[in-house]
Amino acid sequence: MSSRSDIFGAIKALEKREISHPGDFKSYSATKDPVGDFKNSLSIVGAMCIEVENKKKAETRLSEIYPDLQRYTSQDVVANGLDLEAVDVLEIDGMFGVAENGAIWLSDQFLPNRVAPFICQHLVIYVAKSEIVATLHEAYERLDGNYADFGLFLSGPSKTADIEQSLVIGAHGARSLTIILV
Amino acid sequence: MLNHAEASEKFIEDAERTTWHDETLWFVRSKRDKVSKLLPEWEALREQASQIKDHTLANLGQYLEEFEANAQKNGIIVHWAKDAQEHNEIVHSIISKHGGKALVKSKSMLTEECHLNDFLTKKGVEVVDTDLGERIVQFRNEVPSHIVLPAIHLKKEDVGETFHEFLGTPKGNKDPQFLTEAARQHLRGFFLGANVAITGVNFAVAETGEFVVCTNEGNADMGAHLAKVHIACMGIEKMIPKRKDLGVFLRLLARSATGQLITTYSSHFAKPREGQEMHIVLVDNGRTRQLARDEFRNSLKCIRCAACFNTCPVYRRSGGHSYHQPVAGPIGSILAPNFDKSANVDLPFASTLCGSCSNVCPVKINIHEQLWFWRQDLMKDGLAPLGKSLSMKGMAFVFSNPTIFKMAGYMGRLVMRFAPFIVNNSLNPWFKQREMPDAPKESFQSWYKNRK
Repeated sequence: MSSRSDIFGAIKALEKREISHPGDFKSYSATKDPVGDFKNSLSIVGAMCIEVENKKKAETRLSEIYPDLQRYTSQDVVANGLDLEAVDVLEIDGMFGVAENGAIWLSDQFLPNRVAPFICQHLVIYVAKSEIVATLHEAYERLDGNYADFGLFLSGPSKTADIEQSLVIGAHGARSLTIILV
Repeated sequence: MLNHAEASEKFIEDAERTTWHDETLWFVRSKRDKVSKLLPEWEALREQASQIKDHTLANLGQYLEEFEANAQKNGIIVHWAKDAQEHNEIVHSIISKHGGKALVKSKSMLTEECHLNDFLTKKGVEVVDTDLGERIVQFRNEVPSHIVLPAIHLKKEDVGETFHEFLGTPKGNKDPQFLTEAARQHLRGFFLGANVAITGVNFAVAETGEFVVCTNEGNADMGAHLAKVHIACMGIEKMIPKRKDLGVFLRLLARSATGQLITTYSSHFAKPREGQEMHIVLVDNGRTRQLARDEFRNSLKCIRCAACFNTCPVYRRSGGHSYHQPVAGPIGSILAPNFDKSANVDLPFASTLCGSCSNVCPVKINIHEQLWFWRQDLMKDGLAPLGKSLSMKGMAFVFSNPTIFKMAGYMGRLVMRFAPFIVNNSLNPWFKQREMPDAPKESFQSWYKNRK
């Protein structure tokens, strides 16, 4: 406890300075076409995007894309994340998407296990077209009061450019990301 | 230890590599320019971020208390460390309680600052850095040369050699795709087997007691979600008041760092998962000292995007290792003297004071001014090298005495015209890699007086 009180002591010994919080940020980059912007962002971050009328129609497309791979859905919660190591394709639901950066909010409630979207080889996320917000500000607005135990914005497949700045898709997380816009 | 100028001299011996380094980082800076200009409110965002950080630093005690209370309510175990040593001991005590022999660690500049890897290795714990760039430099027994791009000083040939030696990849293979895949396979084994995962923290939210970790590779999450114990290490300045403030910082961070719209993963950790133990270590290590200094306080606003590295003409042409500090570049040069003035006296001088760093900083730190403030501070403390203080005194004497100034100018022109070897030799640092200019025939003063 002594280091804690040392640190707080050092801070409290400082002269009080009155600087107020600027308040919530008001974004002025409104979008007329959130779905179009979202799709554009997805292509920038290296994700594939498929538009379908309903979830059933996605089935045909997915079996074309991953003909030989076993697909796994988020129906069952997996207690041990290690069990997911062998999963080739994981299909999950995203809560909403963000037009400006192609990010999708995922949280504990939508995941079979926290490690699921990272450990699988290929990731498929369903997002409703009606659930696209313009910017991260609107995104946090939507999340107001919804404090997940764990949640993340996921934008694109995992990537690295640590070797001579050459972009390589598939670092430690999923090697590919497919977004199904319903 | 070599000072910045001496180390840089070695770095630029390889002219081709220096040019590559320079151009590659400038390319990253250009990407930042492109994406930032797509946002009409970019400048307003920078201003907002700056004000939020100013406000947070002015109320740091209150926010730290709020964060601690909320994190504990969430089931996170909170630790406080006043310095690097205590931080390392806390981390080690958690590890030894769980009997871990190997642990996975994602990028954390704080743990670099505290030299955690050395400390744990001496205690018999194997630390596996899981960020690709960090793993590369770890194999080579080096340290990161850039806080976002740790292996930017290396070429793919170097990485190929290193992986051949440590991972048994075929000799001569330097394909980034192939090498990355080799690292993925190699590190997956550690992820699946590790008991303990260490991550850094990008932002800690007082309002919710959660912390956010940003990566592109997914290595922080692979470690944290599989290990039984997650230890997150952070400096106390990483605090932000509210969750909605994250919107501002996440919009700025990746755009400033690499020109990406956002990092691939921006993970919000609020509660440990079922059966997991989650620790957070809050570290001072000189931050409260910096907080007390009016002219240097706002260096603590830094969100570690490295935009100032990428834009800096000196960093781009001298390489990160020349700064002999875990955080190099302009921001590192204003943070380092706070840790140790005499060991880092060279760093505030490793700059042209051009101000480009301040112009790109997403939280509007006046970096170039602080470099100049540190120069004054270090000179006052008598820490400047003898040559520098003597020449400064000499210049002050000459410039304050018009007769001597005129005479010196006359002598200088004479020397440069008739005996240029007196200045054009290796004793004069200005002569290195430069042609000295032709001496003018007369001084400006005499030209001005005699003009018709």
